[in-house]
Amino acid sequence: MSIFKEKSVFTRRQFLIGSGMLAATAVITGIFAKFGFDAYAVSQDYIAKRAAGLYNLDEKMAIRKSHENPEILQIYKDFLSPGEVSPVSEKAHHLLHTKYGREIPAMIEELHAHRHDAA
Amino acid sequence: MSEINGKVLKHGEQTRTMHWVHMIAFIILALTGIGFYFDIGFIAGIFGGEANSSLVHRWAGVVFTVGPALYILLNFERFARFMNTIATITKDDIGWLKTMGGYIPFLKGEVPPQDKYNAGQKMLGHLIIIGCLLMILTGFPMWLWRAVVPAAFLAFCYNIHFWVAVILILAIAGHFFLAAIHPKSRVEFASMMMDGYIDAEISAHHNEKWFNSLQEVKE
Amino acid sequence: MSTATLTDTEIIKITNKCKACDHCTSVCPTGAAKGLLGQKHYIDYKTCINCGQCLINCPFGAITDSSTVDQVNQALKDPGKTVIVQEAPAVRVALGEEFGLPIGTNVKGKMHAALRKLGFDKVYDTEFAADLTIMEEGTELIHRVFKMAGVAGFEDRGPLPQFTSCCPAWIKYAEDKYPAVLPHLSSAKSPQQMFGAIAKTYAAKKQGVNPADMVSVSVMPCTAKKYESERPEMIASGFKDVDYVITTRELASMIKDAGIDFANLPDEEADKLIGSSTGAATIFGVTGGVMEAALRTAYEVLSGESLDKVEFKAVRGMQPVREATVEIPVKDLGITLPVNVCIVTGTKYVDKVVEDVIAGRSNYHFIEVMNCPGGCINGGGQPIRHEMY
Repeated sequence: MSIFKEKSVFTRRQFLIGSGMLAATAVITGIFAKFGFDAYAVSQDYIAKRAAGLYNLDEKMAIRKSHENPEILQIYKDFLSPGEVSPVSEKAHHLLHTKYGREIPAMIEELHAHRHDAA
Repeated sequence: MSEINGKVLKHGEQTRTMHWVHMIAFIILALTGIGFYFDIGFIAGIFGGEANSSLVHRWAGVVFTVGPALYILLNFERFARFMNTIATITKDDIGWLKTMGGYIPFLKGEVPPQDKYNAGQKMLGHLIIIGCLLMILTGFPMWLWRAVVPAAFLAFCYNIHFWVAVILILAIAGHFFLAAIHPKSRVEFASMMMDGYIDAEISAHHNEKWFNSLQEVKE
Repeated sequence: MSTATLTDTEIIKITNKCKACDHCTSVCPTGAAKGLLGQKHYIDYKTCINCGQCLINCPFGAITDSSTVDQVNQALKDPGKTVIVQEAPAVRVALGEEFGLPIGTNVKGKMHAALRKLGFDKVYDTEFAADLTIMEEGTELIHRVFKMAGVAGFEDRGPLPQFTSCCPAWIKYAEDKYPAVLPHLSSAKSPQQMFGAIAKTYAAKKQGVNPADMVSVSVMPCTAKKYESERPEMIASGFKDVDYVITTRELASMIKDAGIDFANLPDEEADKLIGSSTGAATIFGVTGGVMEAALRTAYEVLSGESLDKVEFKAVRGMQPVREATVEIPVKDLGITLPVNVCIVTGTKYVDKVVEDVIAGRSNYHFIEVMNCPGGCINGGGQPIRHEMY
């Protein structure tokens, strides 16, 4: 009975194709990694673009400081601190300030007790 | 035509070992993957639930990667010969593809002489190499870098991983059918799964071009 | 044990579309998103601060936020209701993205026009209330500084450093994890809630509307604002100060459902009374913006001088924890104070800053905290961007 085997001839062509395949694998891995890094960059830059949108809008606005907003001065003079612009007034305290954590239940009770004072 | 009496050593021990390891890893990967991705209770249950299936899946993936990697490192020559065979496409291969090797009942025609691997097997070889590379490239980021890669890239990996899995599972199912079940093709079974030998007369017919390059070692 | 009064609101939900990829657990600042790789994830509502970062970062869109769009639509259809709306700064540079406009396009005017087309009776602007927040919180800061400087009459003020309090995710985080730092938080409400309080009092009166018939809606880049509006203490007006909160995404879908051609709308201004903005209010939506707005006012009020350059570029940027020192001449005290400020963007990075404050070793005077990396422009209610290139 005969046994047939491959001859142990390793041709240059075989070597080149084998090495080429490994090189191709490295290249494909590199391209895939580049996808990943590019995707990461894109996933961050939308935030900067939206930020730029806000800063650009700020630069274009006629009034850029809160205390110069005429409607703000109006609400203080008319309602929150009649006759003057005085933040942290009693009315401002009631409407515009709050408490946190364990102090809230008592605050809620107080708000209910003074419902008629709101307006 | 003279009768050829003997057997051909088609696949060596290292090759057969790698094939077994890769095959078992693939089966575990397919089962665990289907189990925890589709939430199929009785499949995931085999491995102890979804989280465990995912754990087994990841480590089977390591075996799936390291196995062939080791083989290539320790048997570069065999790997190179294999790549050379499947990368060489000639008119004979096109002829085989036109008739699908005669395996399909209604596709008649003469089948040209083939290499160590017939044209269909060469196609499968390419598919498996590219497919496995993609599974590995998309698999590890989903596990090791899932916290740091952006969401879009993770979804991209999942999509590729899923579709390549579908294609590979179908291809391997076909491969399994031909290799282990179809009476005409399963003659090769032992050459990869057992002792490595295939009957000389069969090989002389099915792998004529390769057979003619072999050396005869008389017992 | 959390000191928060309102918990378990289940605003954020992980649906069955979860692919167990485990990306959200790394994005969640409190570890409320839970699950092992391969296992469907879920949210622990005890520690969830409703920020929605998991939602906008889910690769499969498997996380949803609870919606009040139906209730808003119902109110809009109700002839007996006066429906007013406010919109946050961050909305106007992102809303356009849902209609194919480039990222960061300013659509402030179109936003107002679209809201009028949807049927809102009055279209105001949260930026008005942002200016109000600066007035109140800036004054509070000045008073705390006076207390620290030993000025008579300010002994009862809060301690320094002062933390901003406009981010409801940050507030809940502090209430859950660091109640000891609560006295340091500014007592000022957020712009959304300040607006709600004055809408049903000041505006209702000026408009001649019964506040009981007023429905107050806000458009926010934020899912935690939905939580904030439900907090039981937010009833200073005598009614629920903010009735419904819709996100930028939800507004976009309302506009699409109404068949409005957003991209071609002409610019319209907000209604007068409580709708005018300033540049300071506009930058509230970006990390460092509240700080910069506060500095613009605090500097001028304390020094009595006028700033010819209003930018405070030192507080801008995207690094998670930034610090700066601003020299402010204090006319009333005759000294120049080096005011040390800190800006934190991303609750994941706030712990050390808070712990330093609680331990008494913090050198800062004023600290701005925004939960979302980059500020509200990257909030849980903003359009989701999942591009690869």
